[in-house]
Amino acid sequence: MSNVPSVPSSPVVPDDLSTPPPPPPPATNTSLCPNCGAAVVPDDGFCEDCGHTLRTDAIAAAADATPQPKPGATQVTAPTATTTQPKTPCALCGHEVLDDGFCSNCGAKALSRRDHWTEVPRADLAGVCDKGISHARNEDGMALAVGGGAETFSDGRMVILVCDGVTTAPESDRASLAACIDGSTSLLSAPVAPKANAAAVSHWTEQIRICAVAANAAAVGVARTLGNPVEPPSCTFVAAVAIAAPDALSTLIAVGWCGDSRAYWFGDDGDGRQLTVDHSLGTQMIASGMSPAEAEAQPTSHTITRWLGADSVNPTPEIMTMNPTGPGWLMVVSDGMWNYASSPPALALVMLRAAADLGSAATPLAIAESMAAWANEQGGHDNITVALGRINDPGFSTSSTSAP
Amino acid sequence: MANFSVQIYQNEFLSDNAADVHAVASVACTGAGTAGQMGAGTAAEIIIIDTSGSMDLPPTKITAARRAAKVALDEIVDGTQFAVVAGFNNVEVVYPNGFTLATMDANTRQQAQNAITRIRAGGTTAIGLWVNTATDMFLRSQTTQRHAILLTDGRVEGEEPHVLTQAIARATGVFQCDCRGIGENWDVEQLRRISTALLGTVDIIANPEDLEADFEQMMRESMSRGVSDARLRIWTPQGSEVLFVRQVAPEVQDLSDRAERISPLIVEYPTGAWSDGSRDYHIAVRVPVAPVGNERLAARAEIVVGDAVVAKGLIRAVWSGDVDLTTRIDPAVAHYTGQANLADAIQKGLAAKAAGDDRTATVLLGQAAKLAHDSGNESTTRLLAKVVDVVDVEAGTVRLKREVQKADEMALDTRSTKTTRIRRTEPSASAALPAPGPGAAAPAPAPAGTEPGAPT
Repeated sequence: MSNVPSVPSSPVVPDDLSTPPPPPPPATNTSLCPNCGAAVVPDDGFCEDCGHTLRTDAIAAAADATPQPKPGATQVTAPTATTTQPKTPCALCGHEVLDDGFCSNCGAKALSRRDHWTEVPRADLAGVCDKGISHARNEDGMALAVGGGAETFSDGRMVILVCDGVTTAPESDRASLAACIDGSTSLLSAPVAPKANAAAVSHWTEQIRICAVAANAAAVGVARTLGNPVEPPSCTFVAAVAIAAPDALSTLIAVGWCGDSRAYWFGDDGDGRQLTVDHSLGTQMIASGMSPAEAEAQPTSHTITRWLGADSVNPTPEIMTMNPTGPGWLMVVSDGMWNYASSPPALALVMLRAAADLGSAATPLAIAESMAAWANEQGGHDNITVALGRINDPGFSTSSTSAP
Repeated sequence: MANFSVQIYQNEFLSDNAADVHAVASVACTGAGTAGQMGAGTAAEIIIIDTSGSMDLPPTKITAARRAAKVALDEIVDGTQFAVVAGFNNVEVVYPNGFTLATMDANTRQQAQNAITRIRAGGTTAIGLWVNTATDMFLRSQTTQRHAILLTDGRVEGEEPHVLTQAIARATGVFQCDCRGIGENWDVEQLRRISTALLGTVDIIANPEDLEADFEQMMRESMSRGVSDARLRIWTPQGSEVLFVRQVAPEVQDLSDRAERISPLIVEYPTGAWSDGSRDYHIAVRVPVAPVGNERLAARAEIVVGDAVVAKGLIRAVWSGDVDLTTRIDPAVAHYTGQANLADAIQKGLAAKAAGDDRTATVLLGQAAKLAHDSGNESTTRLLAKVVDVVDVEAGTVRLKREVQKADEMALDTRSTKTTRIRRTEPSASAALPAPGPGAAAPAPAPAGTEPGAPT
């Protein structure tokens, strides 16, 4: 990025988007932010005023660079002791950051956790959620979790939620995160599936539907908290669950979605496919005969036709299932990622190049971070979310440490 | 207890490599209370009346001045310290006896009224001396909020020009002063120098019979200023430069000359005493450029009373690649830029006319007519209409009137700085070019080609 100072005496202040903030302390189960004392919506993952993280698994993941299996079902919120966080000095110049969220010396905005965070609930599941470059806020939400039900290890379900807030509706960042959190809680606490393959498929299809109801309720709840504005906060929705099939010969994957955040499957055998079909005007245009290139050229092609939120006519998800037997990757991304690599081969290429560059350090987290960084290099015109789950690869899911 | 609030109006989006940030800070005060009665010190008032010989020509002027002084006196609240001063080539303290202020009560009020009745005209006009006398009397008193009204009918005469200049410098920061010129023979520029430095107003009273009402209103306004001293404090980041800080409502006033640097990053501007009401400020800062996608604070605008920061607004800079966002001008910024340009065009136009340069005057007053019309500044449009004939207001074409009443020209001059307020909705909302003026601001749309929007 070229930076020509407009006034000779004014130095250009460099910015490093990938500098991770220091790990914040655990949150309590109250509706006041433990860092700055501001009132917070109970389901929020972050304090709106100071950016302090309220969700513990995000905190634990940040504090723990090496992914470790959780000893039980991962809780979304856990009551822990309150600790007072010392004020973090400005990431740019080191001076004091004032209560208004800006540096007292250079005026840089204090990094909000929401601008870039990662979750690594287990060695085989990780995700990155990033503000991108052009947008001032990160309106993408993400929630990842593993485990659940009465039998933990044998169930070991993988839960992925990604929701993309609609920029034109104010406060959509609150809705997207609340929807992810409630959606992931819903799938985590879903009962164990019946022991027959076909019945399991029906079961998880139904659980995805229930998950969408919970996620939508969360988004509607945010609108209510805001006094039911004319343009209520809205977001897309993708919920994915991956779990060993009852016959233990394959993994059952169920994906539900509203809008144009996407899920993909990339089998090690080269089978790469987009699992979701965008709910957008572009899709409708193609369905009515337009060529994909023509449709893409239309300025309204990205307008979504299904979403979650108080003004949604159709917050019910479309649901698909698949049953891969061989190893591969389940990927869930927001459009800030797939806008730069849309087709399965293109997106697979980004992932495979990242994995190749990382070599033996190619963990799901490292790959996801690399993909998000690549999207920022392409321009980062939108918020970027990449969640990656490794499927049908026993080496990943039960090891306590990732490959060095 | 006085309550201050600051609202910021700006387009915070800057294009790549842009460095200039403009914002309007609207400062409102409620619950100011009464001058000198709020437990923060005593108030003091001095009424200075020109009693030079010309005030008798015609005698209606000196009669009106006496009446107006009495009416102003009546507005002064008990407990306020005060004096009435007659100014000519010397000064005479009409009331009390000597150079120490009296304290207002029923007795002193009656005595002062009687003393005013005995005022007579004679002598020349040593305005600098009058200002110095007021400064001395205020400094000798144990008061914290000081205000004077100064009335003259002529320009400085019988006094070296530097005396007034030095007197103004001495008085700056000691008291606030509202100046009035009665008739047509006084110098707008002389009084404006006083009112600008002493945080007051200047105006023409063309007809003596209008003087009473004006004095009553001025003194009532002064008595309603329960906050004796508020300062506008501007923090800007390391490596930045304050381009200007300008009051833009109710009047245009460039505050740059009043700036007091209190630390490497902080400058303060005194704004004097406050009553209930609001004032708008246009703040422009040049900041170090940050890459697209970054957000920085361009300025913190704070109101300081005593030692406490009582209100604060944040002026932000967000670098963006979205042309729709970065090319917008905030309606308040556009409006007040226009109002400042309007005041400037009038003053320069009148100066050109006075220097005999009719061509320049016609162009500038034409620009002023257009600006006044476009911004809905009806009072300035009316004042201009007494000095020019408008040919085409959209194009800004005017003709200088052949016969202009001097008083009308002076009225245009003194009131050129009065601005209209912008009608607005949400703070920090941007609207599309080119309109200054009203209009609900639309929320910023998604950057082109990136975020899908929910269909409406």
